[in-house]
Amino acid sequence: MTETVLETEGLTKYYGSTLAVDHLVLKIPQGCICGFVGRNGAGKTTAIKLMLGLLRPTAGSSRLLGCDSAALTPAIRQRIGYVTEGHRLFRWMSIAELEKFQRSFFPKQWDHKFFADMIEYFNLPKKRKIKHLSIGERAQVSLALALAPNPELLIMDDPTLGLDAAIRRQFLEGMIELIMREGRTVLFSSHILGDVERVSDRIVVIDKGVLRANCSLEEFRTAVKKVILSFADSPPDDVDIEGLLHCRRSEKELELILVGPADEHIAQWAQSNGAQKYRIVKMNLEDQFIEYTAPPNHRRLFQWEEK
Amino acid sequence: MGLWIQISSGSGKPIYVQVAEQISEAIAKGELASGDKLPAVRKLAAELVINPNTAARAYSRLEQAGLVTTKTGSGTYVSDPKLRRSDAADINILTERMDTIITRGLNLGLEGQDLTAIFKGRLAKFVNKKAERRKND
Repeated sequence: MTETVLETEGLTKYYGSTLAVDHLVLKIPQGCICGFVGRNGAGKTTAIKLMLGLLRPTAGSSRLLGCDSAALTPAIRQRIGYVTEGHRLFRWMSIAELEKFQRSFFPKQWDHKFFADMIEYFNLPKKRKIKHLSIGERAQVSLALALAPNPELLIMDDPTLGLDAAIRRQFLEGMIELIMREGRTVLFSSHILGDVERVSDRIVVIDKGVLRANCSLEEFRTAVKKVILSFADSPPDDVDIEGLLHCRRSEKELELILVGPADEHIAQWAQSNGAQKYRIVKMNLEDQFIEYTAPPNHRRLFQWEEK
Repeated sequence: MGLWIQISSGSGKPIYVQVAEQISEAIAKGELASGDKLPAVRKLAAELVINPNTAARAYSRLEQAGLVTTKTGSGTYVSDPKLRRSDAADINILTERMDTIITRGLNLGLEGQDLTAIFKGRLAKFVNKKAERRKND
């Protein structure tokens, strides 16, 4: 059986009376790239900080590499990489100083050559101070710092926020490079679903602090479907199909968002409910995510009406 | 080889299907000939910047279709056309797909002979490329 590298049990965090993370139960197996997605304010950053022991949970617990997050030993910390949201690095240090500083936390496995090669590839002068770098350059330094200690578990909090396409791609390349090494695992949060789709083989979805999905990307891709059914007259009032998430109706059509049912099941339902024809629409990951996390009876912001 | 494969993330089509389809097309056109070695899964993943599992999945899809064979410890090769499986079911699927295309064509107002001409033209693109490649070998 594959080892579990990250595990939470009923992990919960209140900020005052606001519930940010709600009884999160999560298990991430070794060897995957896991895309951690959720809308703004869904609780991703809080969850990540709880996992890393940077915040104290109101209830529940989490374990990284088998060690309780509240009591991570230096030996365990050395096996974990963390990239903060916004790539916050010490502004007064130069790239070389920052490397030296960071290296002291990972004395055994820091790969200086790897770091130096990356900085050279990015064309960054080692003596330049962090405060004189652009956001993109800072992100590149942060990527090199994250990969140089060859972490077993790399956790990145929205690492590509605000970055251009080329630097974003470098982050994706970095993740692929790391995952090819034996027994490495990556968890990264992102709003760019195209990136998540490209490199992840696992997806975790949270919404309003609640875990909504934790499965292989492929499972999620297959599970969330849109079906459009046309009827000769008005569609049935009662839509009792398995896995119904949203139902939008127009005069002679039903648009259903379903989670789970097989295509044959949809075909049967369409037939027994008198649909003239039906189409199962292949959604991209972004559309699936939007539908999946939309509140019930969700409507479009602007409804176009025929005049 | 990774270079000519285009990944479009954000399309409805899963990435492993995109990769498998583009390799199938290259095989059909003779750009990849029987016996050619495909890049290792990890190399393909690194070049395309996709998850290695996705790359492996693309290969297993091609293998299921009989287009490639994997030799343990050696790699994945384009298989000999004579050995490719093409049973009645596969041909059935093919015929059904053609029906869809014919339907669309007729609905566009094309005549049977127009469709035949288009089909011949497209087919020539594949077959000529294959012949060209054989000449160069």
